[in-house]
Amino acid sequence: MVQIVICSAGAGGLAEWVLMELQGEIEARYSTGLAGNLLGDLHYTTEGIPVLIVGHHILYGKIIHLEKPFAVLVKHTPGEPDCDEFGCKSGTQYLVRALIKNKILFKTRPKPIITNVPKKV
Amino acid sequence: PRGSRVLFQQPLLRLGRPGLGRVRAKGKLADLPGNATAARSAPETRPRPSARAFETVRFLCTFRRVQTTRGAWFFCTKPAAPGAAGTPPRPRPAMRRTREEVDATLQIAKLNAAELLPTVHCLGFGPGASAAAGDFCLLELEPALCEQLEAGHSLVIRGDKDEQAVLCSRDKTYDLKIADTSNMLLFIPGCKTPDQLQMEETHCNIIHTEIFGFSNNYWEVRRCRPKLKKLKKLLMENTYEGPDSQKEKDSSHPKYTTEDLLDRIQASEEEIMAQLQVLNACEIRGYWRILEFDYEMKLLNHVTQLVDSESWPFSKVPLSICLQELGPLEPEEMIEHCLKCYGKKYIEDGEVYFELSADKICRATAQMLLQNAVKFNLTEFQEVWQQSVPEGMVTRLDQLKGLALVDRHSRPEIIFLLKVDDLPEDNQERFNSLFSLREKWTEGDIAPYIQ
Repeated sequence: MVQIVICSAGAGGLAEWVLMELQGEIEARYSTGLAGNLLGDLHYTTEGIPVLIVGHHILYGKIIHLEKPFAVLVKHTPGEPDCDEFGCKSGTQYLVRALIKNKILFKTRPKPIITNVPKKV
Repeated sequence: PRGSRVLFQQPLLRLGRPGLGRVRAKGKLADLPGNATAARSAPETRPRPSARAFETVRFLCTFRRVQTTRGAWFFCTKPAAPGAAGTPPRPRPAMRRTREEVDATLQIAKLNAAELLPTVHCLGFGPGASAAAGDFCLLELEPALCEQLEAGHSLVIRGDKDEQAVLCSRDKTYDLKIADTSNMLLFIPGCKTPDQLQMEETHCNIIHTEIFGFSNNYWEVRRCRPKLKKLKKLLMENTYEGPDSQKEKDSSHPKYTTEDLLDRIQASEEEIMAQLQVLNACEIRGYWRILEFDYEMKLLNHVTQLVDSESWPFSKVPLSICLQELGPLEPEEMIEHCLKCYGKKYIEDGEVYFELSADKICRATAQMLLQNAVKFNLTEFQEVWQQSVPEGMVTRLDQLKGLALVDRHSRPEIIFLLKVDDLPEDNQERFNSLFSLREKWTEGDIAPYIQ
C-alpha cells in the first residue's frame, strides 16, 4: 500500500491566499504561454464588491467566505531539498503551501467595454 | 438588421469587423490593455498601455461554446493596414503596470474611481503558473482537517493500487475524490479582501500580485468509516494460542507491528488503536496479536475461578495476587491482559485493582455457548447461559447486541450467533446481507449492525 504524506508547516508557516473563480478558460494569446503575463486589474468598490477588468471586459463578482477552506498542495518528489526541511519521510509527498478561506467569484456575464459607438450617418 | 449581430451571441471577446451596427473600436481600442499594436494610432499624449502579450479570457456562454475565428483577432491586433493576414505582433516583455495606466483603464471603462477603494491588484501569472497539472492541487478541507493542518499536523493518503484512496488525519478517515468544475479556479497569494484592505492603516494604491496557479478540479473529502475489517483479517492469520503453542516457535507465521498495520490499513492511527482494543488484541513482543478464542476463555476462567475461591467482590480484584496465584499456569502479561480486557484498572492505597465487567464476561460466555451450534432454543439457552456465568453475575439479552440475534417469530423462539464483525464493510453490501438473512427488521434489532 502507498502512504503519501501531506506535510504542514503549521499555522505560523501557512500563508493565507485567495481563490478566484471564473467561468471560462484562460488562453494565452501567443504561444509564449501564460507564465509572466498579466491578467487584469482587480478593484473593489467601497461596498466591497470585486470588479475585474480583463481585456475588454468588466466583471462584477462577490466575495464569499468559504465554509470549507482549501489547502494549496505542492507536490514534492524525492530528492528535492525542500522535503527535508519539514522532516517528512521520503517518497512522494505534498506540502501545504497555503490555506484559502475566501474566494472571489465572478459568475455574472462580463460587460464589454465599449469605447466608440458610431453614430448613424 | 441583416449583417449585424447582437454582441452577446458571439464569443464575448470578438468585437467583430467594422460594419453596420457593430462596435467600431479602432483607435480608441488602443487605450485598453491588451492592444499593444493598435497603440500606434493613439495620440502620444495618452499614457501608453502596458504591453501585455496575452490575456484575454474566452468566456464560454452557458448554452454553447462559440468558436473564435482568426478574423476577429486580427481586428483587434492588426496593424493599420486592413485585411493584413500577417503574423501576430511580437510579444513585448511584460512590464509592470503603473497607477497611471490603471487609472486610464478605469476612465475608459467608465468606472468612477470615487466608488472604488484606492488599492488595485494588478494580477499576473507567476512563472510556475503553467506548471504541469498534478504538481499542485487544491484540497477542500472540513473544518476539523483545517485545524489539524494549522496545528502543524500531517495528513496521510493511504491506499493500495486496487483500493479507493482515503485521507487520514490522526484520528479520522475520509474518502478522497476528485471533483471537476467547469469554472477556473485561480489561487492567488498576497491578494487582500476588501475587509483586510479597509483595516489597514496606510493604503498603497497598487499591489502587483502574482497568480501562483490555477486548476479546474480539486480534491474533495468526505468523512467515512475507517476500513478496519482488514485489521481483524490480518490478525486472525496467526492467532495467539499461548507461549507454548507450536505456532510461536515457528517464525514464518505473519505478525504485524503498529507500523506494519499503518502501512496496510486504510484508517487513522487512533481508529486502528481503538479497534485493537475492541478486538482484545494484545501487543506481545512488539507484535499485535489476537488471542485464539479458546485460549482467551481459558485465561478468563482462571481469573473467575480465582475470584470465586477467594470470595473477592467483582469490583475489587487485586492484580498482585492474581499474578502470584495464576503465574505458574500462564504468563503474567497474559493474565494482566485478560484483566484489562474484562475489567477496568484502578489504584487504591497504592495497590492495583480491577473492576470486572459483568456485561463483558456474560457476553463472552454467551459467545462460547453459541458458537457450538447453528441455533439454540431461546429458553434453554438463557438457562444454560445464566448457569455458566460466575455466580453473582446477571445475564440479560441486551448484553448480546451485535453478537447474537433472537428470532421471536419462530416456534420455539430461537437465538443464533450473528457477529457484526463478520458482516460486509460496504454499506450497500451490508444492507443486502442483513436483508437476505431476514426480510423485516425492527429498529432495535438492526441498530447494532448498522451503527
